[in-house]
Parts: sequence; C-alpha cells; structure tokens
Amino acid sequence: MRKTDNIRGRLYRWFTSLRTSVYLFALLTVFYIVGTIFPQGVDTESYRQAGGRFIGAVELLGLLDIFHTPLFYLVAILLLVNLTVCTWERFQGVRRRAWRESPDVERTYSFALSCQETEEVLEEFMKKNRFRPVSRDEATITVEKGIYYRYLTLLYHAGIVVCFVGFFLTGFFVKEGLLVLKPGEPVAIESRMMPEIRGWLAKEGPPPFSIQLDEFRTEYILSRKLNYPEDGLSRLAMALGWQDITYTDEERYYPKDWFSSLRILDGGTTAVEKTIQVNDPLRYRGYTFYQVGFEERLKLKMDDKVFTVTTNKKKKIDELDRTIIFTGFRRGTLFRPDGTVEELHPFVTIKELTEDGKKRPVGRLHLGESIEIGGKSLYFEGFEETSILSYRYDPGVWLLWYAGFSVFGLMALRCLGRWYMLRFRIEKKEGRTLLTVRIHSRGLMADAQRVSGLLSAHLERFTG
Amino acid sequence: MSVEEVLSRGAHLLTVEVRLLWLVGTLYMVASVVSLSGLLTGEKAGYRAPHALVGLTLVLHTGVILLRIFETGRAPFQTLYESLSWFSFTSTITYLFVARRWHRVALPCFFVTLIASCAIFYALLGRSPEAKPLSPPLQSWWFEWHVVVAFSSYAVFVVSSAFEATYLIARRLMRNRDHALGLTVEELRPFRGMATKLVIFGFPMLTFGIFSGAAWANEAWGRYWGWDPKETWSLITWTVFAMYLHAQSVPRWRDNVASTLNLLGFLCMIMTFLGVNWLSKLLGIPSLHVYAV
Repeated sequence: MRKTDNIRGRLYRWFTSLRTSVYLFALLTVFYIVGTIFPQGVDTESYRQAGGRFIGAVELLGLLDIFHTPLFYLVAILLLVNLTVCTWERFQGVRRRAWRESPDVERTYSFALSCQETEEVLEEFMKKNRFRPVSRDEATITVEKGIYYRYLTLLYHAGIVVCFVGFFLTGFFVKEGLLVLKPGEPVAIESRMMPEIRGWLAKEGPPPFSIQLDEFRTEYILSRKLNYPEDGLSRLAMALGWQDITYTDEERYYPKDWFSSLRILDGGTTAVEKTIQVNDPLRYRGYTFYQVGFEERLKLKMDDKVFTVTTNKKKKIDELDRTIIFTGFRRGTLFRPDGTVEELHPFVTIKELTEDGKKRPVGRLHLGESIEIGGKSLYFEGFEETSILSYRYDPGVWLLWYAGFSVFGLMALRCLGRWYMLRFRIEKKEGRTLLTVRIHSRGLMADAQRVSGLLSAHLERFTG
Repeated sequence: MSVEEVLSRGAHLLTVEVRLLWLVGTLYMVASVVSLSGLLTGEKAGYRAPHALVGLTLVLHTGVILLRIFETGRAPFQTLYESLSWFSFTSTITYLFVARRWHRVALPCFFVTLIASCAIFYALLGRSPEAKPLSPPLQSWWFEWHVVVAFSSYAVFVVSSAFEATYLIARRLMRNRDHALGLTVEELRPFRGMATKLVIFGFPMLTFGIFSGAAWANEAWGRYWGWDPKETWSLITWTVFAMYLHAQSVPRWRDNVASTLNLLGFLCMIMTFLGVNWLSKLLGIPSLHVYAV
C-alpha cells in the first residue's frame, strides 16, 4: 500500500509519517493552551459575569469546554490513528529488521589468519562479551546485545494506544458524582442521582446499594502566624541581621486530616465498614468513594430568633444591620507543637465585613456561649456537619494504569538501556584476511567506542 | 519543651536557613557573573572559577535543604518557596554532573546559575518561608515520588536548554572562525548531542511525573485528569518535547526546528512550574494545585 499513488496509498503514507505526528501534536498543543486561557466547564453566563469577552466567538467555538468539542475529538482521533498506523508499520519493519542505518563506529582489521580462524577468534569475543547471534551468511556475521531498541519503541507506542483505549473506556462508561452525607442518613447510589454524569453511554439503573456516614471528624495542627516582612527590602535587611524571624501570638489551625466513617448497606445488611480520608478511599463493587470535603452549618440565636448560617459565607444579620462572616469553624482533635493533643471545644471565628470591603475580626464564639456584637448578644446553639464525598465508577482506569506505567518502564528502558549490534564482514584480500566491523548502538548507557576498544584489545594479538 | 520553646527554636532555625539561602542565591549570581566575565576574557580561570564556585555553593545549598528537612520533618517541596529552592538545587547539581565533560564551556554555567539564582531570589523576595504542615491531599507516598521525578526532569531540561542555547550561539559565532565559547567546530555536534541526550533522559521522567500525578489525583480527588491548568501545561511540555524527539528523526527538522522545540519545551516547563500560577491568578481560573500558588 505504501508505494501505490492512489488516495488510499497517499493517506496511508500521510498517517505513517512522523511529520504528521508532529503536526498533530502542534495542533493539540493549541487546544491545550486555549483550554488554560479560558475557564473550562463554566457556563457562558458565569463567564460573562466574570468579565469575559468575545462571548460570540467563545460560544461558537465552545471555548469554555474545549476538551469536549468535536474538533478536539477529531484531532485526538487523528493522532490515535496516526499512532496506531505508525505502530503497525513499524511492527512489520521490526519483524523484517528492515532498517539499514549508518553505524556509530566502523573499523577494519587485517589478519594473517584464515577466514575460519578469524571466525573462531570472533566467536571467542562474542562469548566473552555475551553477544548473541542474529544472522549469518557466507561473508557476514551479525550479533547483538541488549533488547533490540525498536521492539521497545514499538511496545511503548503500542502502550500509548492502549492508554487511549483506557481514556475512551472512561469517557464512555464512567459514572461519577458528589454525595453530601449527614450522619445516620443512608443515601442510595443510583444513576439518576448523578448530576455530573459525563459518561456518554452511562445508563440509569436500579440502586445497587446505599452508603451511610456514621461519624465525621477533623484533626488540626496548631501553629502561629509568622512575623515575616512582606516587602523585599525588609526581607533583605532581615537577611543582613536587622532582626530575627519570630512567631506572633495569632494562632493558626492547619488541617491535618478529615475522616468519614462509612458503612455500605447492601441487601439490607452492612457489607463494608471503613473510615476514609483524603488519599485513602473506599472501594466497593467497582465504585470508589473519595473524601473531598465537608460543610458546616451553625445554629445561632439572637433576640430569641434562631437562624442557621453556612461557614465561610457572608451573612447579613437583620437585627444588627451588618454583614458577618463565620469563618474557621473548629471541632475535633488538635495536635500542638509540643506534642500534646487536646479535644477542641467547638468554636467559630467571627469577622465583620466593613464598608470598604475589609474583614474586621470580632472574636471567637464557643458552642453554648454568647458574644456581644453591636450591643446585642449572639448565642451559639448548635451545629451540623456534612461530609462531602465524590464517587466514581471507571472501568477504564485500570487499563490506563497498567498501560501507562508500562509505557514509562519501556520508554525508560529504551532511552537509558544499552543495545549493540555488530556486523562483521570477513573477506580475503591480497593474501590477508580483512575484518570489517560496523558497530551500531542505542541508548544513553551505550558506548560504541568502548565496544570498539574491547574488540581491538581482543584482536590485538592477531593483527599486525 | 513547651509550645513557646518549640516555636522559638523553629523561628531560630528558619532565620538561619533564610540567611543561608540568601548567601546561596548570591553565590549562584556571582558564579553567573564570573562565567560571563570568563567568556569575555577567554582565560582559563574563566571556566574553572565559576565551576568551583558552583560546587562550593552546592555544598552550602545541600546544607540548607537538609536543614529544611530537619525543620519540617518531610520532603522539602511543599510550598513554592521550597520548590524553588529544590528546583535550583537539582538544576545546578545536574549541570555539574554533565559539565564534567564540557567544563571548558562556560556559557551553560552562566545560564544555569542565572536561572538558579533567579529562582532563589524569587523564593526569598516573593514567597514566605513559613514551614507549614502537609495538607491532607499531599499526605501520600506519591508526594515524594511524583515531585522528585518531575523536578528531576525539570532540572535536566534546564541544563539541556542551556546547552542548546550555547550551541546556537557558538554555531553563529563559528561562521567566520573555527572555535568559539570554548568549543571547536569538531566539538559542536557532540556538544549539541549532549542537549539531545539530556532530553532523552528527562522525557521518561516527565512521563512518569505526569502518570504518577494522574494516579495520585485519582487517589486523592477521585479523578485522574481534570484539565486543571497545571495538568494541561505539564501535558503541553510533554507534547513539545515529544515533538522535539520526533523532529530528530526528520532530517530537515533535525537542526533548527529541533533546537527551537527544545528551547520552547524549556519555556513550557517554566510555564508549568511558575507561569500557571500567574495565569490562574490573572484569568481567575481555579486550580486544584493551589498549594503551589
């Protein structure tokens, strides 16, 4: 097919060309760059409100979801076809060993030995240096050492094709979404509850099982705010000994981890129990449940009026006629720098939003206590914590991992490993035996000059 | 020890560390200036002095890195301040290793030490040295593997681009003479070959960096790829270096096109490491890699 000049032949040649790969890579790079300039996954209205421009062009070209546009898929599929065809083409070449490359080193030795004796000397060299025979005819002996680099190149390209298959499996069959769990309230895992289904063929089905949160807890590490200047000149002065770095009295609570104790209810009984945290998800029947966050709602009372607020969000309190932010709700275990551990009495830090938009600290309000704000008493009556999990069913991920890490291993072997091929040509000329050796090598660890030196040292006794 | 004593000791160590890092940054800058002046004078000391200075500074820098590990009790690349220091450390150590064969050529030393000192001064002037505990998503064994390998690839690409740029300048200077910048005409090809070898060495590491990052994201966030700006730029860097390696097999692209791609790959790498943070802030694009911002 390669040599035919019809459209199929030309198309085949185009797809087997390395230039095509480079052009397609360049085209994909343009998509990638656009995808980092425009926010992805947001709707046009949010984009407009955030001050986005060129709305018409952005909508027309799908720039807010560029990685799901037909044009992007088209380029990705063309690259996949290019990769597959190249891999197939090179597989055939590897089988035939069709390549003729110029050697890294070429040397000729002259002997007083016969051809038969020269071959014996070479046999000795090959045995000593662990070369294996590849082919042999009347005048030429070919030997090699290491894994033939083209096999490795072929295999890791094939691995990338398998990665693509993994991506497509994910794209077609993935089921994913978010779960907001309240303690003691089981939630059924069913596809109609998935607002974020992205799988093209994901189907609705009966709820296979339920998941329940037994307990949610948090852990914190205590530190303090660092007294370190903001401007460069003061920092330079500090470096020159103007003053030392110190810690202020302002406490900082850094999250150590969040834990959700979960229970899977399947067929009316508890099938699995596990306490998960970030980086340690729960897996059950192909689904994986990840700890992604949590949300707190506080129950407060002012002038006998009870109201609830969500932490870290602005809340306009009518009784005070001012906007308050309830930030940094803390509950759980606190690890202090001196190694001691304490259970925190729940509290929230209150800040007031001033007219110029700044946050002014008001104070810290503990559970069951009150604080005075604007001459009125605010009472902290209770709280409710919910754990936010993401869940995912992804049949393509395992294929992707196996293929992906194989690609890395094979690529590393190809790039770093050693491969040598030696072609010896023995001929008689003017009563002497001439041995011409061509040394081919690949891989960063390969050193054709060194092999040439070894061969010269081995043949030294017989030359001259 | 009480909380006050622990924090006071931490603050003292931090003061020592920051002052030493200022010294390290200054010494890299001095090495850079010395390399450049050596190029201009063309004397033997012109290439010996900067290399000796870089070697000495690296010893000091190793001490700073070890001090940070002692202070925090973890690998020293959580915050951008730490990552910048680590980046310059790995870049200069890679350069010194590679420069053993090409020690007479001082221009790559100028480029690498300039980049290293800029990274350190940016860390000192633009970031806080505060040693924070590891945030929950970072508490994974992928943290060390992913970051170490990814940064090693960055270091290799920095040195490769320094060699590539030197090659391009030397080639231009050699239009009217047979030697330039400590290189002869015969040495030009193998010198450029070193830049290629470095990319060949760094590319599998970058591949591992991307795959390990995806595996980690899958474990921590429940998805292996989210087109986050950092992820996308790492893919752009990978793609550009893939183009570079493929261009090496196309005879007409082997020279200028490949050189341009190598330098472009370096810029993409810098964009992945630092530029993405700037881009995310500028355009208001949320990034899950906020700990690095």
